Amino acid sequence: MLRILTGIVLVSAASLAIAHAQSLQRLTVTQLTLAADTTTPRIEMPFHLIVTAHVRERISELDNLDLPILAELELQGDEHVTVASRTGTTYRETITVVAHHSGTITIAPVTLDAIDARNGKPTRFSSNSLTLHVAGPSAAIAATTNVFGNFVALFFFLVRLVLWVLGIGIVLFIVAALVRRRPRPIAAPAVTLAPPKPVIRDPKTQLRAALAALRADRSRAGAMRARHIVRQMVGATDAETLADVMRRPLVQDRDTRDLLRALERAGFTHNADLSVAIAAALAQLERMTA
Amino acid sequence: MTEGPAAITHALERTIVGQKGVIEGLLLGLLCGGHVLLEGPPGLAKTLACRSLADALHGEFKRVQFTPDLLPSDIVGTRIFDQRESAFTTVRGPIFANVVLADEINRAPAKVQSALLEAMQERQVTIGPQTHPLPDPFIVMATMNPLDSEGTYALPIAQMDRFLLKIDVSYPSRDDEFAILERFAIGDAPVIAPVATLEDVRTWRTQAHGVHVDDALKRYIVELVVITREAQHPAIDYGASPRATLAIANLARAKALLDRREYAVPDDVRAVAPLALRHRIGFNFRVSNDGGPARVLDELIARVPVP
Repeated sequence: MLRILTGIVLVSAASLAIAHAQSLQRLTVTQLTLAADTTTPRIEMPFHLIVTAHVRERISELDNLDLPILAELELQGDEHVTVASRTGTTYRETITVVAHHSGTITIAPVTLDAIDARNGKPTRFSSNSLTLHVAGPSAAIAATTNVFGNFVALFFFLVRLVLWVLGIGIVLFIVAALVRRRPRPIAAPAVTLAPPKPVIRDPKTQLRAALAALRADRSRAGAMRARHIVRQMVGATDAETLADVMRRPLVQDRDTRDLLRALERAGFTHNADLSVAIAAALAQLERMTA
Repeated sequence: MTEGPAAITHALERTIVGQKGVIEGLLLGLLCGGHVLLEGPPGLAKTLACRSLADALHGEFKRVQFTPDLLPSDIVGTRIFDQRESAFTTVRGPIFANVVLADEINRAPAKVQSALLEAMQERQVTIGPQTHPLPDPFIVMATMNPLDSEGTYALPIAQMDRFLLKIDVSYPSRDDEFAILERFAIGDAPVIAPVATLEDVRTWRTQAHGVHVDDALKRYIVELVVITREAQHPAIDYGASPRATLAIANLARAKALLDRREYAVPDDVRAVAPLALRHRIGFNFRVSNDGGPARVLDELIARVPVP
């Protein structure tokens, strides 16, 4: 009997899960964000939380959008608008809330349950979470609530200011006294050091280095070394291909472009063409270093 | 008949204005013997490009409009009983062509999609008791519309993987659109005369297969694919499979052949990598906040040092 009851419960649970999955909308979610018009709201000053969702489909409503529980905020209003366009539908919900206590409030992400149209699977999409820093009451509110309190605060502020000024004055006096007592150092003769010579290798030097590398090793490895030197010469980075390098301002003269092409060929051509390609690269290097 | 694949490019450029990426992508697919997925809004000459390619090759072109009520036999063919002969005869479906355009492939249910994709993979179809080889060259060009996903059946990633490359077809520039108006306002698109034979295509494919890819370049290709799996990018759920590695290498060879070279260079790999990777990566919804799949992919590719 117990087994039968367990079976019935399991079947019911499974059918509920299937029913839930079937009731989900089929959506291509491209945006789901949670924002606020200020992240530093003040106590008792209403502000807005804005939920924005964009889907590629044209829909009239978002069915399974869950807003987080706003336990530390008082809900004052909620309105939403759904706008259809050529690229899909944008859903925007504006929630008006107010904070009654200062401090940090973290709002959990908004979630949207839907069948992801990209892969046909039920998916829970989550927005970002939001952290708000609620500051004390604004001046206007404080003024209307407690005038006497303002006077007391002003008095204490002035006392603190006077104490700070006195403290700084004492410290300055002690420092001045110490400086006056210290013997003056004998002025050392000024030594001007020559600035270090910058290690700038001119293009000719680098071309000669490339030529030497290729002459020393007439193989693919040698060609790659020469190619590396020439790429450094024109300022190429590791992320740049030959086409990127050719767009650089230093590579607008025909000789350099021909050399880069020749070295690219020597670096990547098939074995039967390798010796011819290396000879072409050497000839170009010799022409440029002559 | 021709001096090279560039002849087809020139022929297609007479009909297709602007879409150089589409023309090159179709040619790369043809040279590699792979299938092409085109994604773009309606009205961007996707069908015209596919038909023009078939015309330029003197090949047979068939178009299948995918709909929710399409059956596998509508694509591969069926057997019917001939009462005069008292025997079954085979009626071949539209898949028996050199260039097959599967228009809006995601509108048909999974059973039809898998029938087509199985034929794409095996290059043969079985109708009743008989197995029929498909013609050579055989290239499927499937289109998808990204703007309207209502009533569609998304292609599973395993089936997307069967396509060698995916081309994102975008709107033409102002100048190109003006040229389209000048060229096609009065009549239909000009008919393309054949500039190559099917035998030429088979020869080019053999040539492309022989293009040299150096070991340094092979390692670069592997790194490009591995970074999609290991980058831990928040917009990526899963990276590309080793089939992407093979696809990039083949496409780079074809690209080198198009540029009349017998060896591939890093520029070839960099140019074809997005075409082979974009549809093989599982992007999640966060990709929109990061600028879209193309931008995320560009960012990953830029992280890998060029040999």
